[in-house]
Amino acid sequence: MQSSAAILIVDDHDGFRAFARSMLEADGFTVTEAATGAEATEAARIVRPGLVLLDIQLPDFDGFEVARRLAGQAGGPVIVLTSTREASDYRGRITSSPAAGFLPKDQLSGAALRRFLGRDPTGEGRT
Amino acid sequence: MNRALRAAVIAGAITAAGCLAWAAWPPTSQFAPILTSMLVIGLSFIIAGLAAWQRWPSSRLGLLFTIVGYLYLVPYALVNLANPAAFTFGNLSQGFYGAALAQLGLAWPSGRLRSRFECGVVIAEYVSAAVFGLAGMMFWNPTFDGCPASCQNLLLVHSSRPVWDALNTASGLVGLVLTGIVLTLIIRHWRSAQGWSRRAMVPLVWISCAVGAEQILTGGAFNLQLSSLVSFGLAPLVLLTGPALFVASTIRARTARGAVGAAVVDLEPGAPPTRLRDTLARALGDSTLQLAFRLPDGAGYLDTTGQVVDPARPGPGRAVTPVTEASGAVLVHDGGLEQEPQLIRLTAAAASMALEHTRLQAEVLAQLEQVRASRARLVEAGDAERRRLERDLHDGAQQRLVTLSLALGMARDRAAEADPELGSLIESASKEAREALTELRELARGIHPAVLTETGLTGAIQALVERSPVATTITAVPHERYPAAIEATAYFVVSEALANVAKHAKADGAQVMIRKFPGRLLVEVSDDGTGGARSEGGSGLRGLADRVASVGGVLRVDSPPGGGTRLEADIPCP
Repeated sequence: MQSSAAILIVDDHDGFRAFARSMLEADGFTVTEAATGAEATEAARIVRPGLVLLDIQLPDFDGFEVARRLAGQAGGPVIVLTSTREASDYRGRITSSPAAGFLPKDQLSGAALRRFLGRDPTGEGRT
Repeated sequence: MNRALRAAVIAGAITAAGCLAWAAWPPTSQFAPILTSMLVIGLSFIIAGLAAWQRWPSSRLGLLFTIVGYLYLVPYALVNLANPAAFTFGNLSQGFYGAALAQLGLAWPSGRLRSRFECGVVIAEYVSAAVFGLAGMMFWNPTFDGCPASCQNLLLVHSSRPVWDALNTASGLVGLVLTGIVLTLIIRHWRSAQGWSRRAMVPLVWISCAVGAEQILTGGAFNLQLSSLVSFGLAPLVLLTGPALFVASTIRARTARGAVGAAVVDLEPGAPPTRLRDTLARALGDSTLQLAFRLPDGAGYLDTTGQVVDPARPGPGRAVTPVTEASGAVLVHDGGLEQEPQLIRLTAAAASMALEHTRLQAEVLAQLEQVRASRARLVEAGDAERRRLERDLHDGAQQRLVTLSLALGMARDRAAEADPELGSLIESASKEAREALTELRELARGIHPAVLTETGLTGAIQALVERSPVATTITAVPHERYPAAIEATAYFVVSEALANVAKHAKADGAQVMIRKFPGRLLVEVSDDGTGGARSEGGSGLRGLADRVASVGGVLRVDSPPGGGTRLEADIPCP
């Protein structure tokens, strides 16, 4: 059973992860952190989050690769790709990935994430 | 040949010729042609001898020619003097020139006889001429041949016509046998010769056959009743082929020199050694020519067909000429060419020149390749550095600004509830942070376009087109990924081209086309502006051409004034 209020943040930048965690917890979400793609797949298996905030630039795997693995899990979470860079730097790769969409890091907020969840309340990861 | 000797030979010839001419003067109509013929033949042999002596000072051929000339001229000169001793001796020695001719034919072209058997044959010829001459004089009465009574044969023992005829026949038969042996030997020389020597022997074979026939026919063997005009005047003209042989040989050597020179001039630069060898062999007329090179480990020499060659032991009838000491190359050629040292030197010099040319060219090509590789590495290093810079910016300053921006945003939201003034203060700080982030992003994109690394040419070209102020359409872009250096080059071609269009062309529209062909990637940017772009000048096309060249490609600019501009980069791509 997935909890739609559970979020998994995957990012190798400790500062951003800590800040995002405090921001989202203040907004009522339960937050789990992962710093690498391997940790992410492991954490997703255990925690079964409703949404994964996935940084594309990860040290071990490409964010798109992690997204494919996470989406492969049955009833996979909503995946939101994020990056310091803009969406236009990734273009077609975002639309052809199993992610629900892209959110630039500097526009991160609880409301933005809720919009992603609201668009897909069943948690199947597709709009 | 020193001057004194030359002067003596010439003086002797003039004396003999003068003697002959004076003694037979006034020439009756019967004797005039014979006299002319004798003078011409004798003098031409002597002249050929002098020339041959000059040309081949270390060879005996010159001497042999001269001796033949004297042996022809002097007896007839002596015969026509009023002195009985001279008359006798002259008649006695009329046969010796034949032996000298035989020696000349057998000794050609080196001037030396080749075996003891040949020496024996030549000695037999001389001995036979001496014996039969002496024996004949013992029985010959000058009146037999219509000489006036004033001619006195001092050696006359018993005047007997039949004995004399028998001696003549015997002498003719011996002459026939000896001539046959000499001709066979000459033909064997020809058959065993190769390359240059073989071709040098061909005229000799014909000449010897002709001369041999003449000697046999005018000798006593078949007792042909030839008039003295024919046997002493016309038939001997065949002997003129002797000096002609010398002239022909000289001409052949000269022609070969010219041919070698012309061949090397026509040889294309960088021709492989096999072609050089073939060209030289053809020009020289020696098909057995070998061009051999020293192996790098000093293990011997190998020729252009891969055969092992030992310069110290080139084999029978072959000789070795070094090309140049430094290049370790040698020419192995037919021994006959040693008669023509100038020709061989020219050939060696020509080979040396051609080889040096090839070596230099190979060196230049190798250096050029090194420079190309070095340039490509430099460009690649620059690109790698920029990618690293962009990555560092992304991982470092950009991340922090993002977090800062988010934190300020949160702080503003909280502060705005309590203290609107504080809120707007924080908002302005947040705005600064956002703008810093945007500028940093632009900076990073200028250093290295991340979209190129992430999405390849499809995304990167789309990004360029979107940012271009001129309306640009993408006609074609391949979806595959290519090596980083090639993708970067294609990207920068389009980027620079579109920047130029925006800056200079005053165009309404532009088109970008990138197509992949087997082995190459073609990048084309065209616009309908004012044209007139040049590769030189400050338009940045020079740097772009350099970048395209560093990956082995070619940049073409087609920009007629008023006719739009078309930039095409042809990049080799696996």
